Amino acid sequence: MNHKQQSNDGKHDDDSALSDFLASLMDYTPSIPDELVEHCLAKSGFQCPDVRLIRLVAVASQKFVAEVASDSLQHCKARQAAGAKDKRDKQPKDKRLILTMDDLSKSLREVGHFESIDFVYGVNVKQQEYFADNPSTGMDPASRDE
Amino acid sequence: MKKKKLKSRRKSNSHSHHEPEPSNPSDFSFNITRVAVAQICKSVGFGRSRVTALNTLTLVATKYLETLARSATSFSGAANRAQPNLLDLINALHDTSLHVGFKGADTLYGDDCLLKSAVLEDLSGFVSSTDEIPFAKPIGRTKERETEGLKPSPGGNLQRGRHIPEWLPEFPDLGNKEQSIKRINGETSWENSNSVLGHQTGEFEEKRDGNNGGKLSKERRKVKFWIKGDKRENLNRFSGNNLFSQSVDEEPEVEHKKSKAKQTLVYRRRKKVQ
Repeated sequence: MNHKQQSNDGKHDDDSALSDFLASLMDYTPSIPDELVEHCLAKSGFQCPDVRLIRLVAVASQKFVAEVASDSLQHCKARQAAGAKDKRDKQPKDKRLILTMDDLSKSLREVGHFESIDFVYGVNVKQQEYFADNPSTGMDPASRDE
Repeated sequence: MKKKKLKSRRKSNSHSHHEPEPSNPSDFSFNITRVAVAQICKSVGFGRSRVTALNTLTLVATKYLETLARSATSFSGAANRAQPNLLDLINALHDTSLHVGFKGADTLYGDDCLLKSAVLEDLSGFVSSTDEIPFAKPIGRTKERETEGLKPSPGGNLQRGRHIPEWLPEFPDLGNKEQSIKRINGETSWENSNSVLGHQTGEFEEKRDGNNGGKLSKERRKVKFWIKGDKRENLNRFSGNNLFSQSVDEEPEVEHKKSKAKQTLVYRRRKKVQ
């Protein structure tokens, strides 16, 4: 860590900004309740007596969900705009914005993989179009040697 | 194709509860998370949602939370600490948002202070710009419900210190002290063996308090060890000719005959290595 004089002054400003932010975190109530966040954190081994960190995690998760949701909203609106005819009123469409798996999977793909080992659902969330018994069903007999 | 209304839950309370009351803590936390996620989606602009999509988003949110926690914990563990602090959390946030990208991601581990990171600025912007979305339903007595699913704590032979977190299960029941002392082959734990003074008095923890600890019953001379081996031995190679022998001993607990017998044990690989 550098302890130069110049960066120290800048560090004080950032520290004050950061402490202001952390203080403002206590005013802001995240959508995800504190007990739930604490439970999930404890399940993963994160134990911290500091409430501000728990709020920080809650806010970060809320921001993440909001980003994914807004991305899917844009996909949904783009799909509607592409299929909208000129005669239709746009008003009933606003109420009918539905979060679907297709939009959600597109937004999740943009977010990327998490490096958690048991993140099973991952990014490639899509509807199963058909189900088969084993992976080689329907393949050419020549390529079944693998 | 099921849809779910994301409107105010107060009105739809009656007919939204098709599911029976959740019986285990994971269902309970899942349902709470789902409500919170639904509220966030509604604030973003969605009026309705498919049930499967909502469930998936809930699972993703849970996984995100857990990923953040695991990364922060591993960062703190890498720094020899038990409890994650703010810096660990910032590093964890960096890790999870690398795919999306943020300002300064290219010079992450340089000289810049972690506290100046862009993820925190983004978060502060988010907090200032977004209105609060208070949780719709009151979570009454959450902790009590969670502990119902856990095993009830027995009387507890061993008292858990504060260093043991609450969410770990209880210690296994050791039964009586006599039962725990007697083992199958007649082994006894070291503290209770005859060679330790004071094994009959007091409990295990009392011995640890004093500086003396368990005293040996007989005075022994200082024991010296030396390592005998071939000069050709190489640290990297397999060297099996090391001998540990004691220099002096009052009581012949280690028989020298045995040590001589060990000398004949030559590991044959050694010849082939050369």
